[in-house]
Amino acid sequence: MAPHVEHGRYLPPRSDDDGVGEPWEVFRQEKEGDAMRHGGSVIAPDSELALHFARELYGRRQESIRLWVVRRADIQELDDPDLLQPPLDRSFKKPGGYLMREKLAAARARSGRDKPRARQSSPGSGRAAPPSPSEGPE
Amino acid sequence: MTTAASDLLPATRNALALLLLAMADDEFVIGFSDSEWTGIAPMLEEDVAMSSMAQDELGHAQALYRLLADVVEDGRDADAIAFDRPPEAYFHARLLDHPRGDWAQTITRRFLYDTADSARLEALSESSFEPLREIVAKIRREERYHVMHMTTWFERLARGSDSRPRLLDALDRIGPDAGTVLAPLPSALALEMAGIVPARFGGLAAAWRTSLQPTFQRLNLPPLPVTPAPDRARADHSDSFRWLHGEFTSVRGLDRSATW
Repeated sequence: MAPHVEHGRYLPPRSDDDGVGEPWEVFRQEKEGDAMRHGGSVIAPDSELALHFARELYGRRQESIRLWVVRRADIQELDDPDLLQPPLDRSFKKPGGYLMREKLAAARARSGRDKPRARQSSPGSGRAAPPSPSEGPE
Repeated sequence: MTTAASDLLPATRNALALLLLAMADDEFVIGFSDSEWTGIAPMLEEDVAMSSMAQDELGHAQALYRLLADVVEDGRDADAIAFDRPPEAYFHARLLDHPRGDWAQTITRRFLYDTADSARLEALSESSFEPLREIVAKIRREERYHVMHMTTWFERLARGSDSRPRLLDALDRIGPDAGTVLAPLPSALALEMAGIVPARFGGLAAAWRTSLQPTFQRLNLPPLPVTPAPDRARADHSDSFRWLHGEFTSVRGLDRSATW
């Protein structure tokens, strides 16, 4: 049986035999308080040059206020579908069974308010607008 | 403190113009020379790093040429000063007359140049001429990374078994000219008297050599030789520079009146 945690398809094995280096993953923060988000990767022979290259590729145009650089080999990967994508029907765990749409429409009609629009993502943050909490699947 | 070039005495103005020309030409020439690595640096990430540092230097040169144009007020703009001179009229240090050479020579030269340039910029942050002080403050923030990155590479090449002989060869070739960047300018006294450079400016070369000693000792490298002909540190340019000049003036030479 394959181990549950392995450096699988998504994380190719480190290439340390070509003398150039190994992959490092770069996380960046755009403004104070934001989550660190994955920016991409660099190839570097050690942590010092990895940090320099990360600065060069993900920070020299004022697009980041903080970078984290992590050796890819130090990342634990889990992509086992048995653990992450259980095959049995789990819809009973989701709130989709509650029929909210009609109730909400009726409540809005009573209060005379329009349906709220999806929140705008903050400019440049690259965040997708979260779904409105009232709009769960039926 | 002086905020406008027109407030300066003519002699001070000429002295300042010479300092600005030396600094701008240094940045301009090393920027163009190192940009020759774009596309062929040893690693993709380093290709981006070296190219962007070369671009930084051209940006610094542009800011300095613009200030120089304000100081000399002879009708030439920054582009005209940068591109429309014959090779012998350039005033960069002899260290920058060498070709980029192999990677070890490029790194060695940049390490020597960036550390010397940093010493010069640090001293100029005390200048009495406000426009220069403002430009220097911006340049210094970018040069921090240059020194950091070049120190990393210099130490790495000095320790690598394949790279160390190349680094030693490069030091043999260009080491004697390392001191030309901080060799005193003919206008040094006038600059000091006007407070455009601080009093310690004349001792910068010695201070810079002392600052390099720990690194050279740690890496077991021979000390830098005494600079030959320091009074001609910015004269007598090489064939290699004349070639580079032909390259960097070739597009502008097609049509000098073109608007970009």
